[in-house]
Amino acid sequence: MQFSARSGNSQPAWLFPFIVITVLVLSVLPLARLAMAGIAAFASGGVIDVLSEPSLWQATYYTLVTSVLGTIVSLLIGCPFAFLLTLTDIPGKGPLSFFFVLPMMIPPQVTALAWVQMSGPSSPLLKALSLAPPLGSPQPLYSVGGIALLYGVQHAPLVYLALRAGLMTLPRDGVEAARLSGASSFRVFRDIILPLSLPGIIAGAAISFVSCTGNFGIPAILGIPALIFTLPTLIFTKFSAFTSRTFGDVAVLSGIIAMISVAGLMIQDRALRGRDYRVIGLSGANAAFELGVSRFVFTPLLWAILFFMLAAPFFALVAGALVPAYGVPLTFKTMSLHAFQEILFRQAVTRTAFVNSISLAGATALCLLVVTVLTAYALTRRKDAVSRFVASLIEIPYSLPGIVMAVAFILVFAAPIPFLHISLYGTIWIILIAYFSSFFAVSLKPVVSAFHQLDPALEEAARLSGAGFFRRLSDIIVPLIAPAAGASVILVFLIACNELTISALLWSAGTQTLGVAIYNLDDSGSSDLASALSVLVVLMVVAMMLLLELLAKRLPKGVVPWRN
Amino acid sequence: MKTIVSAAALVAASLLAIPASAANLVLYTSQPNEDAQATVDGFMAANPDIKVDWVRDGTPKIIAKLQAEIQAGNPVADLLLIADMVTLERLKEDGKLLAYKSPEAAQYDATLYDADGYYYSTKLITTGIMYNTSAAMKPTSWKDLTKPEAKGLVTMPSPLASGAALIHAQTLAADPGLGWDFYKSLAENGAIAAGGNGAVLKSVASGEKAYGMVVDYLPIRENAKGAPVEFVFPSEGVSAVTEPVGILASSKNAEAAKKFVDYVLSEKGQEGFVKLGYIPARNGMKLPEGFPARDTIKVLPIHAADALKNTDQDLKTFSGIYGSN
Repeated sequence: MQFSARSGNSQPAWLFPFIVITVLVLSVLPLARLAMAGIAAFASGGVIDVLSEPSLWQATYYTLVTSVLGTIVSLLIGCPFAFLLTLTDIPGKGPLSFFFVLPMMIPPQVTALAWVQMSGPSSPLLKALSLAPPLGSPQPLYSVGGIALLYGVQHAPLVYLALRAGLMTLPRDGVEAARLSGASSFRVFRDIILPLSLPGIIAGAAISFVSCTGNFGIPAILGIPALIFTLPTLIFTKFSAFTSRTFGDVAVLSGIIAMISVAGLMIQDRALRGRDYRVIGLSGANAAFELGVSRFVFTPLLWAILFFMLAAPFFALVAGALVPAYGVPLTFKTMSLHAFQEILFRQAVTRTAFVNSISLAGATALCLLVVTVLTAYALTRRKDAVSRFVASLIEIPYSLPGIVMAVAFILVFAAPIPFLHISLYGTIWIILIAYFSSFFAVSLKPVVSAFHQLDPALEEAARLSGAGFFRRLSDIIVPLIAPAAGASVILVFLIACNELTISALLWSAGTQTLGVAIYNLDDSGSSDLASALSVLVVLMVVAMMLLLELLAKRLPKGVVPWRN
Repeated sequence: MKTIVSAAALVAASLLAIPASAANLVLYTSQPNEDAQATVDGFMAANPDIKVDWVRDGTPKIIAKLQAEIQAGNPVADLLLIADMVTLERLKEDGKLLAYKSPEAAQYDATLYDADGYYYSTKLITTGIMYNTSAAMKPTSWKDLTKPEAKGLVTMPSPLASGAALIHAQTLAADPGLGWDFYKSLAENGAIAAGGNGAVLKSVASGEKAYGMVVDYLPIRENAKGAPVEFVFPSEGVSAVTEPVGILASSKNAEAAKKFVDYVLSEKGQEGFVKLGYIPARNGMKLPEGFPARDTIKVLPIHAADALKNTDQDLKTFSGIYGSN
C-alpha cells in the first residue's frame, strides 16, 4: 500500500507546507518582530527610559487592579447564570442564554457609552425620568470601580460559557446516588457539583482576566476622562503623541501586556494541572435540581439582572441618540431623529466605516474559512506532534490582546515591504492581515469540531474509488461541514465587524472601521452621533445572532456558544 | 466542485469590495465631524471633479498620525486644517509644507497668514468660559473659576489632546495678570484637565461639572439647540486660535489641494464657516448669531515663535500641575 505509512492520509503534498507558511506569516513573523523590537530596545538602553516612567507602572497597576476586580465581577454574574441555566429546570433557558451572551458580542466601547448614558448627571434617560443626580455629581463610572464593573458585564458570558461546558459533562449518577442517600440539594451542590465545576470556574476566570487586560474600548471611554490609564490605553495615547521613540516604547509596553496575558494563562494551566477530574458514568446533568417554588424567586431575578445589563443601557443609548443637544431631557417634544439622519445620510465617515467594517469582516471570515477548512483537514488527519504545535501557534495571536498584535503588525509593515516597495502601513490591507492573524483561531474552532465528528470511512471510500483531493473536498467534506463553516463565517464576521482595538491603531484616511468611528465621534463631543451609530451596531449584532440561532439546528454541538 | 468555485468567487468578490482609497484629496482636520463634513461637502459642490476624503481627530493626535505615517514612508494626507498656527509653523520649519500664494490672501490681515504662503488662517476660535445655566455663579472673569463657589466644578481640555487648549494655556500662562499661578490655584480648587473641547462641553452641559474652559462655537451652538449652557468672554480677554489650512509637501495632488485652500479662504467658503457658527477670518464678513460684535471681543496676544520654542516645557509644566498623561 502506498499510503500505509500514514493510513488514511492522502493529503496532497502542498497542503501541510501551505499551512505552515500561513501560520509563519500570521503568527510567528509578527511576534518575532515584536520580540526583536523589544530586545533591540533593551540592547540600546532605551528600555530603561521606558521602565523608569511612572506612567508605565501606574498603567500596569491599573491594568492589574481593574482586571482582577473585573474578573471577580464576571465570576459573580457568570457563575449563578451557568449553574441555574445548566443544572436546574428554570423556564426560558433558551432566551435567557441568548440574552446573557449578547454583551460579549457587543463592542466594548458601545457597552461603555450605553452605561455612561444610563448613569450620572448626563443621563438623558434619568433626566427624562427626573432621577438625574444634581449638578456637580461625578459620573460614577469614570473610576476604577466603573471600569471593573463593565469588564465584569462584558466578560461574564465568558465565565458562563466556560463553566457551562464543564457542567454539561457532570455525572448524573453521582448526583442521584447522593440524593438516594438522603443528601439535601445544598449538600449535593457543595460536596459534588462545586468541587467538580472548579476547573470550569478557573478556566472562565483566566479567560476573563486575559480579556480584561487586553480590553481597550472600556478603559478608553471610562478611564481617559478620569486620567486612569491601563496599558492598552497608554499605548494608544503614546501613539497620539508620536515621537521618534514611539515605535520602540510601544513595543516594550505591548511586551508587558503580553507577559501579563501569558502569566494569566499559565496560572490557569497550573491550577488545572494536578487535578484529575475524570468522572465515570453518564454525563449530561440536565435539570439535576428542580427549583420548585424557588423558581418564582430565581426566574424574575435573572430577568431583572438581564434588564439592568442589557435593556436599560440600550434604552439609555437610544435616548442619548434622540436628544437634540447635551443636557436636554428627553421628552416627546425634544425628541429628534437628527443624529440618525446625520449618521445615515450626511456623514461620509459612517458610510465609509460601515463599508470598511462589513467588507473587512466579510473578507476575513470568507478567506479564513478557505484556510481553516484546509487546516482543519490537515490537522485532524495528521494528529502528530508537529500538527499539535502548529495548532497552538494558531491560538497565540487570538489569546494575546488585540493591541499587541496591532503593534506587532505595525512593526512588520511600518517600512515598505522589501523588493516590492509597497507600503501596507496606512492602508486597509494591514488591518485585514492583522484580522486574519487575530481571528484565525475563532474561525478554526467550529470547523475542527465538525471534522472530528466526520466519519473517515466516507472519505476513505471515495478515495478508494479514485476520487482526488478536491473531488473529495467538494463532494463529501464541504457538504458535511457546511453548517459548521456557516457558523464559523458568522462568528468571525460578528467579532471582526465590532472590532476596535486593532483598528484603533491601524486606521488611516478612508480606512476607519465602525469601532473607530464610534470612538472618534464620542471623543469629538458628538455623543449623540456616537450613540446613534452604536444603536445601529447593536441591532446588527442581534440580527447576526438570530441568524446563527436559525442555523443552530443543523450545527454540531457546541458551535453556537449560547445553545445547549 | 461547484461549492468550491462559488466559495472562491465569493472570497474574490469580498476582497474586491474592500475599497481602495479613490479620493483625489485627503484632508486631516480637527474640526468636529459634522463641520468637517459640511466643509468638504461645500468644497465638493464647488469642485465636483475632486473627491475629498477626510480624517478627524484632535490636533496633537492628527499630527501624531501624520508623523507616524511620514516615518513609515507613506504620508496619506494632502492637506491639513487644524487648530493652530504654532503646529503648522513647526511643520514648515521641518520642511513638511508646500508654499502656495493664494490670491484670496489679499482679503486677510497680514498677521493671519504666513508671508511665504505655507499656511493661512481660516477662522477665529476663541476660548472662554462656559457654564451650566443651573450653576450658582455667573462667571465674568477667569479668576472667578478659582472662587470657592467653583470648587470641584471646573473642567478644561488638556493641551495634550487639543491644539486650541495648548495655545490657550500658553496664552494665559504668558499673561502677567494670570500666569501659571492661576493654573495652580485652579488645580488647588479641584479643577481637572482631560480630553478635548468636546469632553468639556459634554461634562458641563450634562451637569457633571458647572464651569468649563472651552472654544466658543460649541456652547454657542448647543445653546441655540436648547442645551442648558451659556458662553462668556471673560473680562481679561480670550485666547484665540485661527485654524489654519496648509498643503503638505508630500501631496500627490497639489493642484487640487491649492483649489481647496482657495475655497476655504473665498467668500463662499468663509460663509460656510459662519453658517456653522465660527468667527470668519476674512475681512468684511458678518459674525454668526450669538456672538458679540467683533471689536468688543478682546483677544489676548500670543507670540507664536516663543510659544513654539516653549511648547515642550509648557506641556511639562501643565502636566506637572494637572498630572495628566
